[in-house]
Amino acid sequence: MDITYIQTLMPTLWAGTLQTIKLFVLTLLFSLPLGLPFAIGSISRVWPIKILSKTYVWIFRGTPLMLQLFFIYFGLPAFGIKLDRETAAIVTFVLNYAAYFAEIYRAGIQSIDKGQHEAAKTLGFTPWQTMRIIIIPQTIKRIIPPISNEAITLVKDTALVTAIGVAELLKAAKDAVNRDVNITAYFLAAVIYLALTFLLTMLSQKLEQRYSRHEKQEV
Amino acid sequence: MPVLQIEHVKKKYGDFTALNDVSLTIEKGEAVAIIGSSGSGKSTLLRCVNNLEKISSGTIKINNETLVQTVENKAVYPPDKEIRRICMKTAMVFQHFNLFPHLTCLENITVAPTHILGKEKTVAQMQAKELLEMVGLTHKADSYPAQLSGGQQQRIAIARALAIEPEIMLFDEPTSALDPEITSEVINVIQRLAQQHMTMLIVTHDMRFAKDSASRVIYMDEGKIVEENVPEKLFANPESLRLQEFLKSIR
Ligand SMILES: Nc1ncnc2c1ncn2[C@@H]1O[C@H](COP(=O)(O)OP(=O)(O)O)[C@@H](O)[C@H]1O
Ligand SMILES: [Mg+2]
Repeated sequence: MDITYIQTLMPTLWAGTLQTIKLFVLTLLFSLPLGLPFAIGSISRVWPIKILSKTYVWIFRGTPLMLQLFFIYFGLPAFGIKLDRETAAIVTFVLNYAAYFAEIYRAGIQSIDKGQHEAAKTLGFTPWQTMRIIIIPQTIKRIIPPISNEAITLVKDTALVTAIGVAELLKAAKDAVNRDVNITAYFLAAVIYLALTFLLTMLSQKLEQRYSRHEKQEV
Repeated sequence: MPVLQIEHVKKKYGDFTALNDVSLTIEKGEAVAIIGSSGSGKSTLLRCVNNLEKISSGTIKINNETLVQTVENKAVYPPDKEIRRICMKTAMVFQHFNLFPHLTCLENITVAPTHILGKEKTVAQMQAKELLEMVGLTHKADSYPAQLSGGQQQRIAIARALAIEPEIMLFDEPTSALDPEITSEVINVIQRLAQQHMTMLIVTHDMRFAKDSASRVIYMDEGKIVEENVPEKLFANPESLRLQEFLKSIR
């Protein structure tokens, strides 16, 4: 491999990486909170809310992300909603990942022992206070591993937006490869993706340690 | 003055009758033990008193306030907010403690006083420390429940229940999940409460505990109160055949 060639590639790959990171961060920023109402909705006893939430989760987990992307970018203009590439990408990812996070939250909430709800109830907590003060804080530790998995998947999923021409890392690499007839850019992109997922893995391990402190036995 | 009045309470699970016309009055300062074989409805009775279950018919009054009454054969409850207010005069200690694992022992005790009773954090902490002292666990204030033995966890659970300043404490087999050699540390705490005239309703399988701690013992079978008496008489001279057999079976 040629160092000077790599140096000429780096600025565009770096710009692509920033775009990838931006998409990643914005997706998490909005989809992590958005998943919560759908999680609580899907265990609600109010059936319209329950059906609405479950249907949402079912649709976004049951169809390909790429199809959702095409629908929102190419399909919505037919309904008078025209989004630019980047907004369409972010909106699609947020909606899609919120559905996955909703499922993770729901499973986390339902994994908490019934005795916790009962103890809170006998102490005078409302169902909502119980959720906020007792149940959700306990689920955090349990949902960190599956959320980390999704976050790692998300890094790789961001490459899908190449399909609607968003200039993220994969697109930058692909353009360079096509232009120079040289696959070095693909290698570099792979290294960058690996670095990102590696960082995420480290981060999730740190978080897990932090949130399991109350399980440690006394020494 | 009665703290708890239960009149003609029926509780059905589908076709199955778990409580069948149960009536029981508990006066302030009484410590009443409930004994009976597994499945006789003891837990169900406690759970109906603090609204973990809804009854099918009958009346329950806590501290002279009506939690539920029966109108035209149907149990009628007030709105949820009112139910919560009335039931906060009761506090429950569970067989499996049900401490909040993500909170320290001190936080387990202060969480309801601060969030529900609206107490200042410092006030709640001061009172929690008194309760910790009472159950002999001052040194565990900052430990998490997982770092405690079963007996210690149950003592924290008792402190947590006392922190909402209930008029009556409900215990559902507080020592059944503990190793036999450590049940006494929990029993001692409950007996101290009895000496302080805390009103208590205690479901237990430990006959010696019932004999030593209770001012009155109730024997339940198949969802009914079959016999009740002061412990000396109930254990020495059981009247009903079923109680005689029950006492024989556990000896
Ligand atoms: N949620 C429930 N659904 C159906 N049956 C129940 C439920 N809870 C308790 N029961 C039944 O009610 C009866 C009394 O139960 P319980 O009050 O727990 O008995 P005890 O505490 O005396 O062992 C048992 O036969 C039990 O199977
Ligand atoms: Mg029971």
